[in-house]
Amino acid sequence: MKTIKQISIFLENQRGKLSDILTALKDENIEIQAASVADTIDYGILRLITSNQMKASELLSAKGHLVIINEVLAIEVESDTAAFANAIDVLTSGGCTINYLYTFHKAGKLVLIIRPSNLEKAEKVALSNGLNLIRGWE
Amino acid sequence: MVSKFWNAEIETMPRKKLEQLQIERLKKTVEIAMGSPFYAPKFKELSITPDSIKSIEDIRRFPFTTKNDLRSTYPFGIASISLDRVVRLHSSSGTTGNPTVILHTQRDLNEWADAMARSMYCIGLRNTDIIQNTSGYGMFTGGLGIQYAAERLGALTVPAGAGNSKRHVKFITDFGTTALHCIPSYANRLAAAFLEEGIDPRDTTVRTLIIGAEPHSEAQRKRIEELWGAKAYNNFGMSEMCGPGVAIECREQNGMHIWEDNYIVEILDPDTLQPVPEGEQGELVLTTLNREAMPLFRYRTRDLTSIVPGDCPCGRTHKRLARFQGRSDDMMIVKGVNIYPIQIEKILMQFPQLASDYLITIETIDDNDEMTVEAELAQATDDYGLLRNLSKEITYRLKSEILITPIVKLVGKGVIPQSEGKAKRVNDLRKNF
Repeated sequence: MKTIKQISIFLENQRGKLSDILTALKDENIEIQAASVADTIDYGILRLITSNQMKASELLSAKGHLVIINEVLAIEVESDTAAFANAIDVLTSGGCTINYLYTFHKAGKLVLIIRPSNLEKAEKVALSNGLNLIRGWE
Repeated sequence: MVSKFWNAEIETMPRKKLEQLQIERLKKTVEIAMGSPFYAPKFKELSITPDSIKSIEDIRRFPFTTKNDLRSTYPFGIASISLDRVVRLHSSSGTTGNPTVILHTQRDLNEWADAMARSMYCIGLRNTDIIQNTSGYGMFTGGLGIQYAAERLGALTVPAGAGNSKRHVKFITDFGTTALHCIPSYANRLAAAFLEEGIDPRDTTVRTLIIGAEPHSEAQRKRIEELWGAKAYNNFGMSEMCGPGVAIECREQNGMHIWEDNYIVEILDPDTLQPVPEGEQGELVLTTLNREAMPLFRYRTRDLTSIVPGDCPCGRTHKRLARFQGRSDDMMIVKGVNIYPIQIEKILMQFPQLASDYLITIETIDDNDEMTVEAELAQATDDYGLLRNLSKEITYRLKSEILITPIVKLVGKGVIPQSEGKAKRVNDLRKNF
């Protein structure tokens, strides 16, 4: 499997909740590479890609947060819109649907974090069309 | 001269004589209840017979009756007479397990209607009034109970029933309704419905509101009175005793006269079950004296109240119950519906996605009771859809159990404050008391 681990943390709308999480990660020198949270009324899900997902997950669980690890695709493309568009086109033309997506820059490249509705299929489509999938980065 | 009283002899009866009447009626009630498969063996064991009753103090020899007894004998296990003499049954809204069923003979219905008619007369309603009832007609006693009483009073009675505020507004306007029977929160809602139509409720013909079945504060009453430019009287009843018509405020608005020709009133410490000194708070415990299908002895109402000391300037000699101060059990009354936390817990525990902590918050929002249920998630998820569906499903299942729609909030660990010892499950912010 050429996928990476993402951690998702249940986030109720409560003052200080996000700070708690970030402080805990900082204290253990865990670097956040990408983060995403959508706006909802009562609760949110904080999705993180960090320098050490297992450690981050254990740490946050121990602090009483609800954490789950799941697999997502990380596709590395050139840092321009055309490359971004191409990657999405490849997936959707291949019949994949995307549940959510967020991006970040890494060493001059653009990394797309994608959760497709069918992970295995999306992985196959990406590989057979020459997209560059990242497998972890520990 | 028009009398101040519906039944002057009974209502102003000297205490000594009233007590004699109670003793006579208690004897009669015991005789009837010897036919109850529930009470007969208990009476035998405790040597309770009509002749053994010498004074009102003898009530303390009687066993208590609880809501649980009513449930475990569902539906007819407490009946004192054969069903061929029973003409009606009512059932309560409390839904933790079996409902409770209360049976009535024709005489029971007549006495009930008379007691509630007396209550209406007591607050100044007469046969010239037009009384509109906003309670549901059916198993709930607030519908038919008010209907028969208002008819007995001789008033034109409008059985409009629950809900449909627009229709209530139209009826009040078209018929010239002078009195309303409603729960306090509905008095507010109906006033809002009038304002929406551009009518100030104070400009309507409504001069009297009979409010009850829902705990409310003195401040709330004042606000209702201001909204309507009318008098609002607190009315107490419970289906176990008959329904509305057990106690009502007189025009002094200082405590509800409880009709002691119909009930023996005890205020007991809910823990020791010993009487508290007059004026002190305790649990209201009632014995029926004027019922035959299903008399109840020392029924624990779980309502906390006290007796207002002293004589009432209105001339009635029947004791006055102070505004209710809460419950000796954990029953909540939300939007007029009786709800126990255990009903909510039972539903939440059916969801494996939830942990065991939850918190019920009740508050007043725009004059309405709102209930929020915070439920702790057992595990995280990466799927918003799952969370949305989960709260939807919880809301739906709670609604079918407790009959009102709560706001469901999913929370993470540690959000629900941990209390030492017994967990605090209910946070009532309504300031009713």
